[in-house]
Amino acid sequence: MRRRRRHKRDQGSVEMNLAAMLDMAFQLLTFFILTFRPAPIEGQLALHLPPPVPTTRVEATMVDQKGEGGESQLDLEVLHLQVTAGAVGDVKQLTLENSATINGPMDSSTLQLLERKLQSIFSIQGIPFDRVQIAVDRELHYGELMKIVDVCSRLKSANGELIGKISFTEL
Amino acid sequence: MSEMNSDRAEPNLTPLLDMVFQLITFFMLVINFKGASLDLSLKLPVLGSARPLERTGKLEPIVLNIDSEGRVKAFGETIDIEQHMEREARLLKAHLSLSGEEARGGLPVAVVIRGDRLATFHLVNHVITVCQNHGYRNFALSAMTREEAR
Repeated sequence: MRRRRRHKRDQGSVEMNLAAMLDMAFQLLTFFILTFRPAPIEGQLALHLPPPVPTTRVEATMVDQKGEGGESQLDLEVLHLQVTAGAVGDVKQLTLENSATINGPMDSSTLQLLERKLQSIFSIQGIPFDRVQIAVDRELHYGELMKIVDVCSRLKSANGELIGKISFTEL
Repeated sequence: MSEMNSDRAEPNLTPLLDMVFQLITFFMLVINFKGASLDLSLKLPVLGSARPLERTGKLEPIVLNIDSEGRVKAFGETIDIEQHMEREARLLKAHLSLSGEEARGGLPVAVVIRGDRLATFHLVNHVITVCQNHGYRNFALSAMTREEAR
């Protein structure tokens, strides 16, 4: 009885041909391996970049006449930085509000010095600055500028809010 | 003949198929569709404080790749930045007006600038200025979080 039942099951079982499915699976695998590109370890500096603010009242009036009066504002609220480039596109000199200067190149010590100077300005209560405008030498390398932008994006006002507004102009 | 058939060894393909399906599942999960918009030949600046972009809206950011010569690429193709941003801004404004939204304080889409670290400032600034002229205010400047060994 036992033997008869076993014999019957063997006859009725269906064996799938897995080779075709395996072929397809290998083709899919090959496709995914060939198109696989690991995502780069990349981050972003999120910035609110309004258009540059006119530096003189004459320029501000000209901007207003062009019909962009809504975005023009007084220069009093803008802290000016000026960056000049060296021969190889690195930072030669950085001037803060036409007075304090830091000589390049920008390494960790000069960046710390810049951060201390900027933070000392922004941490004073009632300071009128709410944005930083960087006048940049047109030949400065973007990588060098980003080091300065990184410092500026970390600045906090006296009430602890980040100074997120940065704009650029060409020297 | 029948004796030969009975002696034939048939390998059990089921474990092999299981493993292949597991590998396929892995690759399907880690596939990066956004990678097509990135120009991986660029050498981005290195900033330790760079963080992954926080997306607040439903709209995808615009990714612009700027090489050291100032060529702007989007999805692997060199583009005319003026025309490209004009078209993007026009489409976005049309989308916003259809959905009854208002663009206060600039268009609500971030522009991701992936600039080569050796690109000069005026090349990058030109791209930023064009975007600003078309109403974009939110920018994300891409950087590597650490130096990659190449």
